[in-house]
Amino acid sequence: MNVLEINKLYKRFGDREVLKGLDMIVPEHSIFGFIGKNGAGKTTTIKIILGLLKQDSGTITVCGEKVTYGDTKTNRYIGFLPDVPEFYGYMNPMEYLNLCGEITGLPKNKIKSKSEELLELVGLKDEKKKKIRGFSRGMKQRLGIAQALLNEPKLLICDEPTSALDPIGRKEILDILLAAKGKTTIIFSTHILSDVERICDYIGVLHGGKLALCGTLSEIKGDYRHNEFVLEFNSEKDASIFEMLEELKHPSISIRRNGNTVKVLLTVHNMDGSFLLSVLSQKSLVPLKFAVEEPSLESLFLEVVI
Amino acid sequence: MKGYLAFLKKEILEYIRTYKLFIMLIIFAVFGITNPLIAKLLPKILESLITNDVIIKLPEPTAYDAWTQFFKNATQMGLIVTMILFSGVLSSEFSKGTLINFLTKGLSRTAVILSKYTSMALIWTISIVLCFGLTYGYTAYLFPENETSNLLFSVFCLWMFGLFLLATLIFSATLTKSSYGCLLITGIVVVACMIIDIIPTMHKYNPISLVTDNMGLIMNSIEVSSLYSAIPISILLSILFMLLSLVVFRKKQL
Repeated sequence: MNVLEINKLYKRFGDREVLKGLDMIVPEHSIFGFIGKNGAGKTTTIKIILGLLKQDSGTITVCGEKVTYGDTKTNRYIGFLPDVPEFYGYMNPMEYLNLCGEITGLPKNKIKSKSEELLELVGLKDEKKKKIRGFSRGMKQRLGIAQALLNEPKLLICDEPTSALDPIGRKEILDILLAAKGKTTIIFSTHILSDVERICDYIGVLHGGKLALCGTLSEIKGDYRHNEFVLEFNSEKDASIFEMLEELKHPSISIRRNGNTVKVLLTVHNMDGSFLLSVLSQKSLVPLKFAVEEPSLESLFLEVVI
Repeated sequence: MKGYLAFLKKEILEYIRTYKLFIMLIIFAVFGITNPLIAKLLPKILESLITNDVIIKLPEPTAYDAWTQFFKNATQMGLIVTMILFSGVLSSEFSKGTLINFLTKGLSRTAVILSKYTSMALIWTISIVLCFGLTYGYTAYLFPENETSNLLFSVFCLWMFGLFLLATLIFSATLTKSSYGCLLITGIVVVACMIIDIIPTMHKYNPISLVTDNMGLIMNSIEVSSLYSAIPISILLSILFMLLSLVVFRKKQL
């Protein structure tokens, strides 16, 4: 089942068209990395999903129910973590979660047990009686996750949860999200690609008002994989011998050498890694490393966006 | 309903923890105590300042002087302080984005406006009752021989006008994003009332007569019945402002 389906979503602000027929599907129990440049329309899309902004046209369904602007019915399935969550500084985390629970309509004893459990999960157990006023950004972000998970949402939407954090804070947030994965589906908007590579199983790249790229991370990498190999030799001499081999002097093979690493790009389809391996064994050259070059998410992103 | 009660609790907690309730109570308590005291002492202070060359006969102070002080303070400084203190009622939530979280949790926008109005009205009521109680007790002690008429009705009018202004304030708050804009619009409404008051025939329909006729009521120079139009009009206008603020706030993009 798909937790979220977006169909032909259009939104314009003045004369700037931000979303131009966005289609997006988020399957259940996935972590969906929603990637895009600053200003690509990630936050706009999220606000429309939450019913905080009105789309010009297009439909959104959350857990099979249609989202309507101004009506927050579908929000009972959703937990939302804003990019910079703001809380009332004069409250402590327990009081804040209690208020959230009362508004959602959870029974009293449930609120208490659930709050304790979530504060434990996000590592704020020792701060539960301290005023939020004195919290750091990372602590607020963690409290934000706790409040978003309070009503056991089917869909957790995080809007750039790690953008403003230091590496340790980021790692903590990502670990919490990974821990929450079993219970809910997560949409994770960001422009930090290493975060996506660490935790997401599905990604969608928003560009030009549409998803320019969409699928599982391995699928996308597979689609964009070139026949490129990296060979590392234990000396520069071996590397240059390999580089100069007659067998490799062919217009469809391009070779680049940098020190004792050689990168070979095969552009002919019937030629693959086994060809290179056979050449190596003929010449009794043993590389330290022989690897298929994986496209990095960054290179994919740049390829799509530019 | 559950959202309304939960948010009302949050509002009251906020007024306590941010010392706003405390400030209101202190200010109105100070007014309450000093009203009769100033009435009693002012002639003596003036006498001590006057040199022998000038002879001014000052009348003995009465309870009326204490109540003159009360209505002067409450209708001017009292209401101004109240409005300034509450001017951030929505703008503080807008600027920080603290409301979004609750709206995405299914809190209705109507509940937000209603709970905010309820909490402000509650604090205004407590403050005015406190101020009135202190002035009443102290006046009875300092000027035991004096009798006033229509005192409770007169204070009721003042209280009613406060509720009307708070409805104006929350409507203004939905129109702008800043607390200054909110104060400005409320001020414009008050000034408009004052300008309308220039036309004598309009006076008895004008909400502002609720805070200009208080002493007249007490001294029996103004009939109670002369305010029977202004009170329902103030109530209707308050309800109208509340309804308008609900409509505007529902459409507002946060």
